[in-house]
Amino acid sequence: MRLIMGMALALILFSFYVSRADDTIKIGVILAMTGGTSAFGQQTWTGMQIGRNIRPTVLGKKVELILLDNKSDKIESANAAQRLIQKDKVIGIIGDVASSNSLAIAPIAEDNHIPHISPSSTNPIVTLNRKYVFRACFIDPFQGEVMAKFAYNELKARKAAVLTDIGQDYSVGLTSAFAKTYKKLGGQIVRQVNYQSGDQDFTAQLTAIKETDPDIIAITGYYTEIALIARQARELGIKATLIAGDGAEAPELTEIGGEAVDGLYYTTHFDEKAVLTPLGKKYVEMFRKQNKSTPDALGALGADAYLIILDAIERTSSTNPEKIRDAIEKTKDFQGITGAITINKNHDAVKNVVIRQVKGRDSVYISSVNP
Amino acid sequence: MKREKLIRNLATFLSLLAIFGFLKLANSYTSAYIIQILNITAIYIILSTSYNLVNGVTGQFSLGPNAFMAVGAYTASLLTMSPAEKELTFIIEPIISPLGKISLPFLPSLLIAGVVTSIFAFFIAFPVFRVRGDYLAIVTLGFGEIIRVFATNAVSITNGSLGLKGINQYTNLWWSWGWAIFTVFCLISLVESSYGRAMKAIREDETAAQAMGINTFRYKMLAFIISAFFQGIGGGLLAHLLTTIDPKLFSFFLTFNLLIMIVAGGLGSMTGSIIGAVIFAWGFELLRWFEEPHQIGDMFIPGIPGMRMVIFSLLLIIIMLFFRRGITGRWEFSWDWALNTFGRRIKFREIN
Repeated sequence: MRLIMGMALALILFSFYVSRADDTIKIGVILAMTGGTSAFGQQTWTGMQIGRNIRPTVLGKKVELILLDNKSDKIESANAAQRLIQKDKVIGIIGDVASSNSLAIAPIAEDNHIPHISPSSTNPIVTLNRKYVFRACFIDPFQGEVMAKFAYNELKARKAAVLTDIGQDYSVGLTSAFAKTYKKLGGQIVRQVNYQSGDQDFTAQLTAIKETDPDIIAITGYYTEIALIARQARELGIKATLIAGDGAEAPELTEIGGEAVDGLYYTTHFDEKAVLTPLGKKYVEMFRKQNKSTPDALGALGADAYLIILDAIERTSSTNPEKIRDAIEKTKDFQGITGAITINKNHDAVKNVVIRQVKGRDSVYISSVNP
Repeated sequence: MKREKLIRNLATFLSLLAIFGFLKLANSYTSAYIIQILNITAIYIILSTSYNLVNGVTGQFSLGPNAFMAVGAYTASLLTMSPAEKELTFIIEPIISPLGKISLPFLPSLLIAGVVTSIFAFFIAFPVFRVRGDYLAIVTLGFGEIIRVFATNAVSITNGSLGLKGINQYTNLWWSWGWAIFTVFCLISLVESSYGRAMKAIREDETAAQAMGINTFRYKMLAFIISAFFQGIGGGLLAHLLTTIDPKLFSFFLTFNLLIMIVAGGLGSMTGSIIGAVIFAWGFELLRWFEEPHQIGDMFIPGIPGMRMVIFSLLLIIIMLFFRRGITGRWEFSWDWALNTFGRRIKFREIN
């Protein structure tokens, strides 16, 4: 008992003792490095560190990224946000990928007047009615719109069926935007069915869809279920084209889906072939040098979130959080990694959507859609 | 006898005063970060002590507090949120009509949340207490999942998986600690009453308790409902601290965390549950030190995310190895004990 108490005491003393140099600019990062969504958090962190290596200083000062893990948990996210602001005195916060955690960080940043950028939370309500909260990605409705337009105009599909993962805010948002735009264009939604993350058998939903004989099937969930749905659809003899959102982007898609996902279209944030900006080219080069894999969207968005803050600091020549917030809000045509970024009045990033198609084990670049 | 009772009451009063003073100081002189953790601590105390009533005192291995918290959190939040905020947040489907217009103050909302959770507990108690032991754990686990799935699918009530945001941040040190102290007071009074003894009898041997004339179903139901009431309140307080909730927050992991608190603290002891809650709330934050990068002399140690979980697990293993029944076991703090241990000299002087 005495030992444990002693250890605890030493710990408390140490945590007060730790101090950092003052000549750096501190930016807090809250990511799910462990827990359910840790894969997303780690990808984002890898990309963000490359972003920092590209631009390690601003206003002649070194930038320090303070990473706190939130265990993919809302309560931990809120604690981490308070800690970054009160103890580390950061001038801005980047985080998290999952919208539910970003929602927990946002009110704390708002109360303390610290700018907060989420790299990839696409749930529209994250930035809704918030003065200090931004995001470096587009929102689900915009992605859904692009999916619908692509399906109707490019693929000439007139009858669509939609499968929604009712347990994921991301999927629900995407479906509602897709359906709305598709109907507006003159298309017909012949069947709309739901499933839950973790489901294994989709034959009931797919049989219902098969009856209606759609031209295209939109699956708005994540890669595991998309792959399983594709397999089971092909087994049932459904030949319709498949389309999905950025949730499809993962190596597991082709690993699980095999031949069934061949030809599947999906929208995403980033493709190295679509990179035109100098920053983007440098990012791809550095990413390739450091990792053996292809640069992923989450990493690129993580780097973009960091670079947006740096760009804002540079434009105001100040490290005052209020001024940085104003500058972020005025971001226009910033040549980031995923393309030219403009922050709109809802604090979402307006930028290109990339459309890719699965070909064999890889995905190929099809086109970019301008906002 | 009378004199001892007076001393006990005085000690309780003084310690309450001390807590009040401490909170007052914390509120004005510490950072929002410390206040945040103090709030979380109080909420964990409410949740762990009330969970302990069912698991530790009555001995029914329930795994359903995440369901109760979800019911409480959603009820309280939907009652306090302003109609304008609700209209903004419900973007997929509009909120059903009476809920969309209601906006109540914090206290009535919390109380309604507690009562609604109790009613929910009352109804699920019938199927739950038809089974015992491990089976009971599975049934309650099932109800926890049902509530989470319901919250995901009832989009026009809960906003589905998008969750709620913009809940007013009503929870502060006074609300959270006020409720924590009230909860502990109620639960300790209950455990020390004849009801509590009946519950303990059920824990030791349900069949024997029944043979002694204890209506076991009634007492288990009572424990379940009271526990659900405070868990509903705890959920409501948590929602109004975080200002945002969604179904993913109320997953089985929440129950699991509470289970760690009460088992590591000492199953069956309210003191243990409180200690467990405090360790859990502060432990993870203090252990963040191990995840930060450090410069010791010329040596640079990069931060490793997840390190604190390893250390926390090690601490738990050490606790469970050295204190087989948790830190306190079934021992309960009391003023008599405190007087006997620390106040021997004072007492001696008094007698003289």
